[in-house]
Amino acid sequence: MSQISAEAYQKTLARIAADPRMATGNISAPPSAARLSMGLLGLGAAGLAVTVVGAVVMGPQHAMASYLMAVGTVLAMSLGALILVMCFHMVNAGWCSTVRRQFENLASLAPVALILLLPVVLLDMFVTKGKVWEWMAPGAESDPLIAAKAGYFHPVFFLARSAAYLVLWGFLSARLRALSTEQDRTGDRSLSNRARFMSAWGLPLTALSTAFAGFDFFMSVQPHFFSTMWGVYIFAGGAVACMAVMVITFSALRFVGRLNGLVTPEHFHDLGKLLFAFTCFWAYIAFSQYFLIWYSNIPEETFWMLQRTTGAWRGAGILLAVGHFIIPFFFLLPRTVKRNPAFASAGAAWILFMHVVDYAWIVRPILHHGGHAPTPASWWVDIAAVLGVWGVFFGLFVTRLASGPLTPLKDPKLPEAMSHKNYV
Amino acid sequence: MAASDYLPFIRRPKPGFVTETGEPVWGVMAQFDTTVDAYHAAEKMRDAGFKHWDLHAPFPIHGIEEAMGQKRTILPFIVLGAAFTGIATAIGMQWWITAVDYAGFTVQGKPYDAWEPFTMIIFELGVLFSAFASLFGMLALNGLPRWHHPLLCKERFLASSDDKFFVVVEARDPSFNPEQTSRFLREIGASAVELVEDA
Repeated sequence: MSQISAEAYQKTLARIAADPRMATGNISAPPSAARLSMGLLGLGAAGLAVTVVGAVVMGPQHAMASYLMAVGTVLAMSLGALILVMCFHMVNAGWCSTVRRQFENLASLAPVALILLLPVVLLDMFVTKGKVWEWMAPGAESDPLIAAKAGYFHPVFFLARSAAYLVLWGFLSARLRALSTEQDRTGDRSLSNRARFMSAWGLPLTALSTAFAGFDFFMSVQPHFFSTMWGVYIFAGGAVACMAVMVITFSALRFVGRLNGLVTPEHFHDLGKLLFAFTCFWAYIAFSQYFLIWYSNIPEETFWMLQRTTGAWRGAGILLAVGHFIIPFFFLLPRTVKRNPAFASAGAAWILFMHVVDYAWIVRPILHHGGHAPTPASWWVDIAAVLGVWGVFFGLFVTRLASGPLTPLKDPKLPEAMSHKNYV
Repeated sequence: MAASDYLPFIRRPKPGFVTETGEPVWGVMAQFDTTVDAYHAAEKMRDAGFKHWDLHAPFPIHGIEEAMGQKRTILPFIVLGAAFTGIATAIGMQWWITAVDYAGFTVQGKPYDAWEPFTMIIFELGVLFSAFASLFGMLALNGLPRWHHPLLCKERFLASSDDKFFVVVEARDPSFNPEQTSRFLREIGASAVELVEDA
């Protein structure tokens, strides 16, 4: 970073502070945010209550699978946000200074998503014994393929890994957000360098822990299956969903008259480009994973894809290919769509729906076995679980969003973001 | 650019204006010394309603498209068409080869018309055709390649790759007139104005 003198830097900060765009009314959440977060938390509580009813009515397996699917969507998107925040710091990106705070808010919910998930893991490990995670069932080790992985699946090792994810994600996301808010108060530009240094070691660790969390919580549901692309697949889906949430968040904030001149069509253009790019990236990873399994034709791998591309889940597989890639690809292709908050949000909302379909496609086929197949009438459990988890998660997100200024106040790269333009 | 620039057997249109020595006038060029001058001159040219004019600068100037009032290029639509052509070519070719012409030739026990292996070639041909359309479409829309351009006869124009900016107006512009246009260019801040012969 080319450093200007301390004196000149103070002048820059004073100029930013005096900018009419940084007026309190423009960069603080509207009062309705508190009502929105209460409403979302209420919806979440109701949804989770209905999920518990579902556990009683439909049996614990269905409710737990629905819940795992719902938590998976929000865990992936918060991890996507954490990785993107660190990428912004690593490449010293300027354009995103005005939007970075909301990425930090979303990332700071990664440990919350994991805390939402862990009770179900513990429940299945110690009480229901393998209703969702096959290897937790008593006698599972008599299966030679699971016995071969017994060391990895040892309960102590498994729980130690979960604790490590919690510590790592909790520390990184809280610290990065704290450095940013501390800079709001002090204007100390060396904090940006510290965030950058932290991102340098945090990125590889988060990438690895995301992959292993993907193995532990989602791939190990059917422990015979293995795919080396799984970690990237989880990250790609999370990054798409994170960008979609960000596009909708900033559209909503612009709609209520906040961030005027700070988040402009130029920023929406860049957010939209990342949304588009990660959609293509997800499709590339999803297809590559499918194609290598199809091509090599190894039974331990193909059974998983067969469950999801033939029979009851064939339609969902096709829907993912069309809805998670082809439709958003062409919808987001024109420049005008990316630059228009309303259009971009419509695309983002569709992509979030597809993100849920993605996790349903990953988790829910486990309920189809031994002639048992849940009917569409039983989907109320899944819908309740998604509404419950999303209500709690986004209720907390809106609370975070409303708890401080909507944008960093004294970031050294703010001038770049405030005059950002795409010259293409 | 006109067809007669490229095809010698097409008769050149009769020049609207000739110099004192009888040579056809291609247009006028006006030199501007700073980026700011050139930028504001472009805005005034745009507002004066000129159609066939251009600005030459040694480096890209941010925002000059708006200052010149340039419309966005149609190149993306050409590329999109090429991409669909590439995709259709890839699907048609592979389907015909594996499912029709060589049907019965088993590879790895996979179905003859399996769509999975087509995907890579669909992607590759889509990208290849798009890349060709981008490059050649860009060249065609710019009237390139060409051997020569009347501006290249001008000693002064060499500075356009060094430190000077040039606004040039072509004689085929409906509102072109050698004297009036030159006067207008001086008024909007040109440091020098020269008539360009159609050489």
